[in-house]
Amino acid sequence: MNPQLEGIEQIPGTYAFDLRVSNRTLKINRFFWNMIGADWRDRFVADEEGTMDAAGLTEEEKALVRARDWLGLIRHGVNFFVLEKFGRVVKKTNLEIYAIMRGESFEAFMKTRRVPDAR
Amino acid sequence: MARIIGGIGSSHVPTIGVAYDKGKQNDPAWAPLFDGYKPVAAWLAEKQADVLVFFYNDHCTTFFFDMYPTFALGVGERFPIADEGAGLRNLPAIRGNVDFQAHIAESLVNDEFDITVFQDKPIDHGCASPLPLLWPHQPDWPGTVVPVAINVLQYPLPTARRCYRLGQAVRRAVESYPEDLKVVVVGTGGLSHQVHGERTGFNNTEWDMEFLRLLEEDPEALMRMKHADYVRLGGAESVEQIMWLSMRGALGTGPLRKLHQNYYLATTTAMTVVLYEEGEPIARQTGPAAAAVA
Repeated sequence: MNPQLEGIEQIPGTYAFDLRVSNRTLKINRFFWNMIGADWRDRFVADEEGTMDAAGLTEEEKALVRARDWLGLIRHGVNFFVLEKFGRVVKKTNLEIYAIMRGESFEAFMKTRRVPDAR
Repeated sequence: MARIIGGIGSSHVPTIGVAYDKGKQNDPAWAPLFDGYKPVAAWLAEKQADVLVFFYNDHCTTFFFDMYPTFALGVGERFPIADEGAGLRNLPAIRGNVDFQAHIAESLVNDEFDITVFQDKPIDHGCASPLPLLWPHQPDWPGTVVPVAINVLQYPLPTARRCYRLGQAVRRAVESYPEDLKVVVVGTGGLSHQVHGERTGFNNTEWDMEFLRLLEEDPEALMRMKHADYVRLGGAESVEQIMWLSMRGALGTGPLRKLHQNYYLATTTAMTVVLYEEGEPIARQTGPAAAAVA
């Protein structure tokens, strides 16, 4: 255990992204990271299943991507900063993804914010 | 001799870049953010800063987890601004001074700070989000950037103390460069926010204010904190505030004078910009400078 992370498991709803997680999820994180390339984005939009096969995703991972299960992907070990690149491709804003991860509707989530109109 | 003339702490929320590109500077929801940067931009223009040393993090854009550097310094005359999934931004490529960047890399390594060097790579919102709020970019940026990327994504991260020491080493590097350059150090990230998991949306303004106080008055207290402490107090992604300690370390061990502070928590991140010079603090209760800090 990394002593810098001592006690982090007691913080609810938080998933530390360390080397053990990263090693287990390298392929799916790379799949999302590749969304920084216009060619890969086009390829994904044209053939979602084909790109998931090419990236070597497991069946469980493919199901999470198909379902756009944002919280499930995080719990599986996807890093948010590659996941947000995928958000741009499937036209979900970060605020919309945040609401889903909290289990709230977008409208209900924005009402909890100090400037609910900010977009 | 090159010298550090001040320090800036700034959030680097990607949405700042989106709002900037969409021209939301006068939108009621965004004006408090953009207006808060104006005094800092005016100070940079007045002081004619030549170089911004940016302590920022790459958001798994330029670097992927198959080779993710703990500390990496960019060398190059130009760095394109990265496509992060939404296409390219209409901003000129970031400028660099190769000789100065190379000198800093040499000084750091000879000082036993064995930093990775990257070249010919794009730079993401960790630097590019606040940059156009600090410097004009038409027709081109007025100065050069020394990009210093710090791993705040994949644990193990460098400790808070190590980040401070990086700043100290950068100060030694700057002060050993023979050319007269006016350098400003920028620490980016935070303040409180969490953007993953069920705890997304967590903020803690009380801690944010305490962080700013400690940064100024007692950085040793921040250096003693573990990453888990930052996560608990400010939300998971607020751990990136250790990059502000690099800025603090580069400003020396004497007192700081805070010239400006703006704190705006609109949705999920406590968007903050603070400007420091070295020297005795301004008296807090009176005068126009104190009002500017409020």
